[in-house]
Amino acid sequence: MKLAYLWIAILLSGIGFQATAQDDLSPERKQAVDSLALEKVRDLSKYISIIGSKETPWSEANRVIDRAEELFMPDSEIGVSSINNPEDINYFNVRKYFERLMRLNYKKVEIEWYNIEYMSDLQKQPDGTYVGVITIFQKFKGYDAEGRLVYQDTTKKDITVFVKRKETQIGGRLIGFWDVLLGDMRVKETSK
Amino acid sequence: MKLLLKNSAKILVFSLSIMLIVGSTTSCKSKKKLAREKAAAEYEMKVNQAKNDLNAMLNGTTNWSLDEQEQRLDVIRSYNIDDPEVIDLISKVEAKISMDRAEAERLAEEDRLKREEEERRMKDASKYEKIDTELAAISTSTTIDAANRKITLSMDQFASPDVPVLIIISQAGGFNDYDRPTTISKFLNYLKDKQEYRYKVESVKRDGLGKITELELIKK
Repeated sequence: MKLAYLWIAILLSGIGFQATAQDDLSPERKQAVDSLALEKVRDLSKYISIIGSKETPWSEANRVIDRAEELFMPDSEIGVSSINNPEDINYFNVRKYFERLMRLNYKKVEIEWYNIEYMSDLQKQPDGTYVGVITIFQKFKGYDAEGRLVYQDTTKKDITVFVKRKETQIGGRLIGFWDVLLGDMRVKETSK
Repeated sequence: MKLLLKNSAKILVFSLSIMLIVGSTTSCKSKKKLAREKAAAEYEMKVNQAKNDLNAMLNGTTNWSLDEQEQRLDVIRSYNIDDPEVIDLISKVEAKISMDRAEAERLAEEDRLKREEEERRMKDASKYEKIDTELAAISTSTTIDAANRKITLSMDQFASPDVPVLIIISQAGGFNDYDRPTTISKFLNYLKDKQEYRYKVESVKRDGLGKITELELIKK
């Protein structure tokens, strides 16, 4: 009986070791995961510029909003500031933020993200999730019907990134993947 | 007087005969000796040459091919040289040739496998080149309408819009790390939105009708 318990213990520790080996990241794998998280932020940058553009057809903008929303953890919020009142930062639910962005009252909108980089590296948490913060700078330009630049600002924003290893069955195969989800996007600075 | 002359002639003839016999015997003896000496010298030369050749083969300082080395070894063996050093060298060279041949065969096999792998890789690359080109074309479309037309055309080769797309982000330790799986419909639209294709098709699964049921990509 004792031997049976011993075998069960060895078996369970083996399974545990295998799971740990998959979760523990070598520098090469960590780099791949870091890049993946940065890529998701770049995807968001692209989506924001498509949603904000007045040239994007309505149906396309709505499709892109769906894709952009999928990048975020549920209940995440995005901060909005204005150069006219930089201290007054409003936070919106992700979907609401995108819908507002789509309906901004300008004839033409240009949104560009740059200097996208880690402010704090992905760190493993006790529950196995890797958490990090990525900083971006956003340049926003709004033009009127005459093509005049009527508003512009540059905001520095911090985005919390959550990365967790998950598994799913596809075609009878167990696929281990890294699920990258974005959390709140906080406004840190607003300038002209 | 006459008798004296007759006896002298006899003695002279006898002496000459003796001299001839002795002379011819001595000449024969020296010829054999010379021949023996010549044979011994030739043998000595053969042994020395064999030792030189065997040492060269053993130390790898000859330009002979393995076949040429074996031919030379056969010739040396045929001499039946009764010299302990040569006998020892022959056995060492036999072992070396056998090892060299095994190594040459291993390298040839390795080369063959490499060539096969390269051919397979090239074949696979060209097999999926069409899909890669189509996917890249969506990302380089200049208008949304043009991209949508390409998406509709491309979608025809997939079993459904929900065909899973797996994206490998890293390969290490014998297993793949993937991005969150997506569907072909979402992925093609993603290419349109991102306007870049930084992947390569790794594998494709098809159903009985030849339609793609699973697409695996690797990030470049």
